[in-house]
Amino acid sequence: MSENFLTIVNLSKWYGNGNIHVLDNINLDVFRGEFVSLLGPSGCGKTTLLRIIAGLEKQDKGEVRLKGEQIVGPGQDRVMVFQDYALFPWRTVLGNILFGLEVRKIKKEEALKIAQNYIKLVNLEGFENSYPHELSGGMKQRVALARALVCDPEILLMDEPLAALDAQTRNMMQSELVRIWSATKKTIIYVTHSIEEAVYLSDRVIIFTPRPAKVKKIVKVDIPRPRDRFSREFVELRAKIYEQLH
Amino acid sequence: MNLKNLIIFIFSIGSFFAIWEIYYWIFINNPFILAPPSRVIPTFYDLLAGNIQGFYMPLDAIYSLYHYFLGFTVAVAVGFSVGLIAGWYKRVERFLYPIIELIRPIPPIAWIPISILLLKLTHTAAAFIIFIGSVFPILLNTIYGVSSIEKKYIEAALTLGATKTKDIFIKVIIPASMPAFLTGLRVGSGVAWMCVVAAELFGVSHYGLGYKIELGRLYHSPDIVISYMLAIGIVGLFLDRIYRTLEASIVKWRRGYLIE
Repeated sequence: MSENFLTIVNLSKWYGNGNIHVLDNINLDVFRGEFVSLLGPSGCGKTTLLRIIAGLEKQDKGEVRLKGEQIVGPGQDRVMVFQDYALFPWRTVLGNILFGLEVRKIKKEEALKIAQNYIKLVNLEGFENSYPHELSGGMKQRVALARALVCDPEILLMDEPLAALDAQTRNMMQSELVRIWSATKKTIIYVTHSIEEAVYLSDRVIIFTPRPAKVKKIVKVDIPRPRDRFSREFVELRAKIYEQLH
Repeated sequence: MNLKNLIIFIFSIGSFFAIWEIYYWIFINNPFILAPPSRVIPTFYDLLAGNIQGFYMPLDAIYSLYHYFLGFTVAVAVGFSVGLIAGWYKRVERFLYPIIELIRPIPPIAWIPISILLLKLTHTAAAFIIFIGSVFPILLNTIYGVSSIEKKYIEAALTLGATKTKDIFIKVIIPASMPAFLTGLRVGSGVAWMCVVAAELFGVSHYGLGYKIELGRLYHSPDIVISYMLAIGIVGLFLDRIYRTLEASIVKWRRGYLIE
């Protein structure tokens, strides 16, 4: 079944004229509709892997295929959500969300209708005409999420999207993310260095070694949602992953 | 402007005029060398009304603005388009840089002889000087604006499906470089306006605020000279105001970043 969704085969990458080995022979399948976390120590190369899937960087060896087709560059089927949001400061909330529809040349009226749906989904009603600098971190990330979702991607690539938020907002955004994920049934690949976040969100947690990143272990999270961060099984799984990481 | 500021404003201008008036009567007292405000102000009015033979200030202002716009619009078009390309394609920038750095330190006034030889005493010759003076601030600011765009905006646009260079230019590079471009526009406009006077002093046309300053000197009428100087200042101030307003309305998204 993996053959017709995202497949990563023997992927390797070096930086700096081949001196720095970042990714070492990564093999991974991601299934349709799955929420997968990439977990590993800072600087291990998990962001690089995400950027290669997004088509923003090129691998040196191996390949990435989506539904059997090799990835050669960026595209709306794999939209990336950045840690620092990367909202366009010269566009309003609505303008940011419309971006992906404008480049697809969708008629203004229809685009507005689509955008409005996602504004509702991420709870941003009433902020359509605000500029990014007027929003809080959590709200900015909601805009970034809606802006990605309007593209109707096959996969949502999220690079530590909640890392810049305070703990309380982060917890709230995590449950929001689970809600939005179940509502849209998107496949999500999520880079994080927080074990708790990975366990709370994911179907599977992919644990990486320090650089060069190799897949060290894949942990399945079978805890039913909504998950309780203080339940016994949650805490036990956290401890188990912690051991793997260290 | 509230009342307090208005009082300060009047006091500021008033004291300037007072010192000038007193200085004239004590140290100069010769109408062929300098004119006091008490003579300049009536002359200014007469020039505006067309009461002085051979001088009609509104027409001169129109000619000067004509020279200004003729040179400045070309400078904006060239500076902005070349700036976009040079800012984006590093190779183009590297190619242009030595040329820019060689020509830029030459004062626009130094171009006047060549301009007159090439284009004769025409409006185009005046416009050329203005072009030379204002193109560099616009060009360099646009290059700076484009090359300082954060990579994350380009990557965000790419991942959101803007894979065509045209989309990236229109939807990311141009709006992101707008603040720097508008700064260049305002600085360039200031230089352009100064160049108008310099170009007209050399007699490229028989109308224009700069030309009439020179004519006033030939007539030994410092009151006319100073009136036209004031007119240049007032029009220049007005132009600057227009660009500031334009800047504030186009980059209102930036309001939160500015510390005022």
